[in-house]
Amino acid sequence: MTPLFALLLSTLDERLRLRQPARKTLNKVFPHHWSFLLGEVALFSLVMLVLTGIFLTMFYRPSTDLVVYTGSSALYHGQSLPAAFESIVRLTYDVNGGLLFRRIHRGAAHLFIASIILHLLRVVLTGAFRRPRELNYHLGLVLLLLAFALGFTGYSLPFDSLAGTGIRVAYSELLSFPLVGDRLAFWIFGGPFPTGDVIPRFFVFHVLLLPAIIGLLIAGHLGIVARQRHTQFPRFGIDGHRWVYGKPLWPWQFAESTTLVLWLGGVLAASALLVPWADVTLLGPYRPGIVGNNAQPDWYLFWVEGALRIFPPLEWDLPGVTIAGTFVAGVLLPGIVVAGLAAYPFIERKVYDLRGDWHVLSNPLEIPLRAGAAMGFFSFLLVLSAAATNDILSLMTGIPVETITVIFRVAALAVPTALTVAVVAYSRRRLRARGLEVGSSEAGPRRAGDPAP
Amino acid sequence: MTPVGGQPAGHDDGRPRVIAERPPAGSQVNDALIIGASAVAGLGGVVFGVALLAGAPLAIYGGALAISLLALAGAVRRYFAGRFPDVEAIEPRAELGDAEPAEAIAVVEAVGRRPLLARMLLGAAALIGLGLAAPVAVLGPSPGQALRRTAWRRGMRLVTTDGQPIRPDDVASGGVASVWPEGEIFTETAAVILVRVTPGSAQPPTVLEWVVDDSLIAYSKVCTHAGCPVALFREEDSALFCPCHQSTFDTTRGAAPTFGPAARALPQLPMGVDADGFLIALDDFRAQVGPAFG
Repeated sequence: MTPLFALLLSTLDERLRLRQPARKTLNKVFPHHWSFLLGEVALFSLVMLVLTGIFLTMFYRPSTDLVVYTGSSALYHGQSLPAAFESIVRLTYDVNGGLLFRRIHRGAAHLFIASIILHLLRVVLTGAFRRPRELNYHLGLVLLLLAFALGFTGYSLPFDSLAGTGIRVAYSELLSFPLVGDRLAFWIFGGPFPTGDVIPRFFVFHVLLLPAIIGLLIAGHLGIVARQRHTQFPRFGIDGHRWVYGKPLWPWQFAESTTLVLWLGGVLAASALLVPWADVTLLGPYRPGIVGNNAQPDWYLFWVEGALRIFPPLEWDLPGVTIAGTFVAGVLLPGIVVAGLAAYPFIERKVYDLRGDWHVLSNPLEIPLRAGAAMGFFSFLLVLSAAATNDILSLMTGIPVETITVIFRVAALAVPTALTVAVVAYSRRRLRARGLEVGSSEAGPRRAGDPAP
Repeated sequence: MTPVGGQPAGHDDGRPRVIAERPPAGSQVNDALIIGASAVAGLGGVVFGVALLAGAPLAIYGGALAISLLALAGAVRRYFAGRFPDVEAIEPRAELGDAEPAEAIAVVEAVGRRPLLARMLLGAAALIGLGLAAPVAVLGPSPGQALRRTAWRRGMRLVTTDGQPIRPDDVASGGVASVWPEGEIFTETAAVILVRVTPGSAQPPTVLEWVVDDSLIAYSKVCTHAGCPVALFREEDSALFCPCHQSTFDTTRGAAPTFGPAARALPQLPMGVDADGFLIALDDFRAQVGPAFG
């Protein structure tokens, strides 16, 4: 340490008294496993999103008014374009680094949502949601939904033909709410689609409201992890409910996080060279009434899109209210999915009559209900997601899209059911073969239902 | 990992302790890797910044950024692997309501002294930071002549805000009018104020051959202090007055500043009359329009 740096440190310490708490923090033990880094990947992706987003905000124009583009793209030169799309064309062709930062932003957005989903999967499969962590689990679910909203608004902002079509579908979903749909849609859109208000409002959601809320909730999420300590995998000879084991923050957790953030930045930059993320300039601007083939949303909304595609035609005209298929498939079903995720910790606790606090993770195959529920649940979402590509599958296989849709209708019910039954049966047999009871793999002589000491 | 102090079963005294420790994997090869990767990382950071500013293809600056970040990640990893023991520890879990355990294990210290390695790492990180600052320079174009020229050209008619060309007679005695270059209405730096002074009262440094009818003079309307429109004309002393900071200009003497914070005269527009009797510019302003720039 150079004398100047040492002087700065001691000057700060004399005033803030940080040396003691800092020492304690540096020595804090963090449970260690690669899957615990998934949440960190999400956090660092968000950092990249904010950094590149600040640059993009300097050039983006949140408006759908027509302006004439006069830049270096021969394709669009002299054309009258919606201002939002025009600014994206300018960013891509006329701003040094604009395309790089747009692609890193888009790549980081995919990574952000993917890592949150994998993080959720890790939490669900290993049982990290169990008491006392239900609150943080729910906070995480809210963060995932906000991340979807952040992703969707960001996908909409360039106002290319796919984005405009996506906004139209979202508008239809809002309209489909029974009784209040028309009002709800007009509140958010400021009038009938496509008003001039929708892009400016989505811009405010995307760069101000959602990031601010997400930032606050992440602070809460991490604060709770710090307070409750991280969960850990079972380890022979140590009672994980009484002891936290792992590596101290300094140096290895620090080294790992620093390496991870650099590594992610490098991979995202490399992906910007290899993957044409976000090349919406090839799609053209949104014009009402026009959309090309392969009209899919981003992958993380495929499950909702798939549900919309395979849901049977339904429009009940009841007295005073209309229940449409778009509501059942696009709002009710996702609502049930989220509610199921939110309710699961309580269901598992009830079914196995669990009591006390749980700090040690478990193999899902040792809890048949969890193994079956997770398998059924995520396979259902995957089949629905696959159904969102029915047009592409039809094109690739030559099977008529009508047939494929019917196959998916059957598969969406049959595949998750069959897999759930199979996994529950397998994990029960596995438990029996090992002479175990549910939860008995916890360290020590604890059995299902035993509270942590 | 080598267990420290036998089986961890003996931990029931309730104190935090180290349960396993692996010595650092330092070697000369490792040191060389750190130095090489840091050098690549720092160089990559510089290439990124320079190539971005020079408008090089995406593949060059994007590739430089990717390589430099990945190289720094590798260098950081090798640095910690080579200098610090890998320590595993346990500490008691605080029950709700308990105070956090007061004790902790000792801070893990680096093994040996390698100041060069840390400096290489910090230097590479600093160079990458410098390179990442380059996009700031992309935010605005190079100023070029944009601040030195206005829209006025030889032969351009003076028009009102409605776009009407004007004749000398349209400005009454003691009157003023705001005019623009034809086709450039509301182009801010080209704003001109026409003033009618007492005939014959204008004297140098007013350029007299640009004064029409011996009494009609055109000045830039952009204050030379902070750029407000010099909108007010005081007839009794033929003064233009800026409402923002009270700079006052004598229109009979080349709009030289007579009061207030402005230090420079309002530039006079070279003005004449065309064959149809309309006022026209004879050229762009000869002096710097608007506030000073550094």
